[in-house]
Amino acid sequence: MSETTTRESEALALIERVRSRPAKFKDAQITMAHGAGGKATQTLVAGLFLPAFGGAALRELGDAGVVDDLALTTDSFVVKPIRFPGGSIGELAVNGTVNDLAVAGARPLALTLSFVLEEGLSAEDLRAEVEAIAAAASAAGVEIVAGDTKVVERGRCDSMYVTTTGLGRLDPRASLSTGSLKPGDKILVSGPIGEHGTAVMLARGEFELEAPVESDTRSLWPAVDALLDAAGPSLRCLRDATRGGVASALNELAQASAVAMVVREAAVPVRPPVAGACEILGIDPMYVANEGVLVAFVAPEAADDALAALASAPGCEAAAEIGEVKTDPPGMVLVETAFGGRRVMDLLVGDPLPRIC
Amino acid sequence: MRYVDEYRDAALGRVLAGEIVATVEAGREYKIMEVCGGHTHTIYKYGVDDLLPANVELVHGPGCPVCVIPMGRVDDAIAVAHVPGVIFTCFGDMMRVPGGSGTLLDAKARGADVRMVYSPLDALRIARENPDREVVFFAVGFETTAPSTALTLKRAKAEGTPNFSCFSNHVTIVPPLRALLESPDLRLDGFIGPGHVSTVVGARPFEFIPADYGKPVVISGFEPLDLLQSVYMVLRQLVEGRCEVENQYARVVPADGNPAALAVLEEVFELRPHFEWRGLGFISHSGLKLSEAYAELDAELRFEIPGVRVADPKACQCGEVLKGVIKPWECKVFGTACTPERPIGTCMVSSEGACAAYYNYGRFAREREVV
Amino acid sequence: MSCAGDTHCITCSDEGVPMRVLEVQPDGIARCEADGTESDVMVDLVAPVARGDNVLVHAGVALARLA
Repeated sequence: MSETTTRESEALALIERVRSRPAKFKDAQITMAHGAGGKATQTLVAGLFLPAFGGAALRELGDAGVVDDLALTTDSFVVKPIRFPGGSIGELAVNGTVNDLAVAGARPLALTLSFVLEEGLSAEDLRAEVEAIAAAASAAGVEIVAGDTKVVERGRCDSMYVTTTGLGRLDPRASLSTGSLKPGDKILVSGPIGEHGTAVMLARGEFELEAPVESDTRSLWPAVDALLDAAGPSLRCLRDATRGGVASALNELAQASAVAMVVREAAVPVRPPVAGACEILGIDPMYVANEGVLVAFVAPEAADDALAALASAPGCEAAAEIGEVKTDPPGMVLVETAFGGRRVMDLLVGDPLPRIC
Repeated sequence: MRYVDEYRDAALGRVLAGEIVATVEAGREYKIMEVCGGHTHTIYKYGVDDLLPANVELVHGPGCPVCVIPMGRVDDAIAVAHVPGVIFTCFGDMMRVPGGSGTLLDAKARGADVRMVYSPLDALRIARENPDREVVFFAVGFETTAPSTALTLKRAKAEGTPNFSCFSNHVTIVPPLRALLESPDLRLDGFIGPGHVSTVVGARPFEFIPADYGKPVVISGFEPLDLLQSVYMVLRQLVEGRCEVENQYARVVPADGNPAALAVLEEVFELRPHFEWRGLGFISHSGLKLSEAYAELDAELRFEIPGVRVADPKACQCGEVLKGVIKPWECKVFGTACTPERPIGTCMVSSEGACAAYYNYGRFAREREVV
Repeated sequence: MSCAGDTHCITCSDEGVPMRVLEVQPDGIARCEADGTESDVMVDLVAPVARGDNVLVHAGVALARLA
């Protein structure tokens, strides 16, 4: 190797050593970046939470925690505004929790529901959310079994915050694990990306921009059910691509399984209005939150069947195979651009779209 | 989008790449700098340099008008943001640039009312909607963005909006290029000229580069095919011994720029005697401040600005990276003390800076195969 | 953190978006759209414009006409 290439390799090796050191939480205060689902969130979890109370289940860092054959998950919803094209905070709360269970391979059974309400919230707004929750729970086939309500002074929370806990039973067909990806596995995505985050950002009205984009919030259990049926043990892992988007989901799994991934940009479904709005806002749709999209990793021999099954689930007609797992370099996600070049797609650093779920 | 799809065609890209290979002389190294952050972004987003032969290297220039703002000016902005009652507005890019002790985002976390806007008109609207608050717009950008600020200030003046002011950190494109070209250790063969700055200033302001420094310039569009074609045009000039300004982006850029834009800049702004650039030092006549006629809208006159100069950290080697003398990974602090999360200099602060772009997108070298 | 992190820097990247004029409003503003996204744009620098014209927009200002 020439001297220059050796020096470059040394620098790259040094970067990888620095990056693979266990995260230390050194920030002096919490910023919006800590809630974005990217690097800052990861540092918070790995550097503060896990050392304090992380047991075996939590350290899996799955979307749900597994205890015996039960899956348990929790979520808070702080989306602003509480109503946006395609959905509302209540609907998000139900579907988001159901999806965390679904992608852990657990059939959703029950939810608990906790409200923090702002003094002055109109009864009409509350009633609208309660009805949305009832409708979403019924559609998803889950029962709300417990709840809590608190009220805080005007200005202490934007209209309402909602927290849920979800309980599910692990499906016998599922053998999912974040560390199980193997080179050759195919990467599937269940539908067009970037819809939810874009819709909420535009609904906020901070920019004088309008576009026909709606949140994609939906229960992903039918999609997971179809995948488990078609692929069974060949289904390695599932992830719902919420905060941080598809890019974050892929990065987390590449790290968890110590594999590389290559994504073909041209194969990733993005609708033109989302692509256009993201272009104007300077945001990459791969990092934008979704509320009704999952990524699936399937052994190559089962990939075709899995894709066909996925595409038959409601809202997943545009499902596509977008890439492949490779061996090297471990932990890295690369994009093959439509133009024929290649670039790295790293974990999110900042918080381009705050409070979208 | 109709205007862009045909300029992203992969097959055409391969044809152009073939012509580039046929044009270059084997054994000769070519270093071409693209000045504009937008071009850097395209190169990384599409992996354009994957299609170039190994002896053609693209060097990323000081194309980020946000990130070249020195730490002291960011501290000034934070000071204004903390003035009680102020709504401080800026582009999203500006919120993460570090000053001496934190960013505008950190200031927001500490309670300052810092709001992201997409255009200065958004800021003026906030002023109209909040008549009891002082609204300040942090204006940044080259000649591409300055007209937007200028038109907004004209509107504010005409309407008589009393609670709106502008903290101007606009910079101009020619002085830093001249400063770069004046360096004795510069190792560049040619330039890809900025595409959208030229819609305002035209192609003529870049004629000094071939005339005084003997380097070819090609003004380029922003799609990957535009960039490949522009690289090809620079290489052809070098191989044929020509040296001139060519306009690859003629479909958008008029030779004389936009006279109406230049006129409004003339009316609203004047050149500062000098302005400090992060990583490059003081450059004369490179910054814009509000003219006398617009003094009443100047935040620097309306507020107490600390104006303390914060020196660039000694470890920073951005100047050398910008001149093409060293590569990002050759900087002693690259990837260790200086990372995208904790950047030291402009090359890492800017996501289009050479170091950040390499770290985020290009650090997987093209020689290494994915197996 | 880098100035734009995972988004690209609209200012740094000198972003220019081709947009189509939908409606010309008074005071030099036009309602424009690109791929279904609409916004208000200052068109003083490319006046006069008409519905259907294509312009290049940066930071809320049309800087050039497109053929």
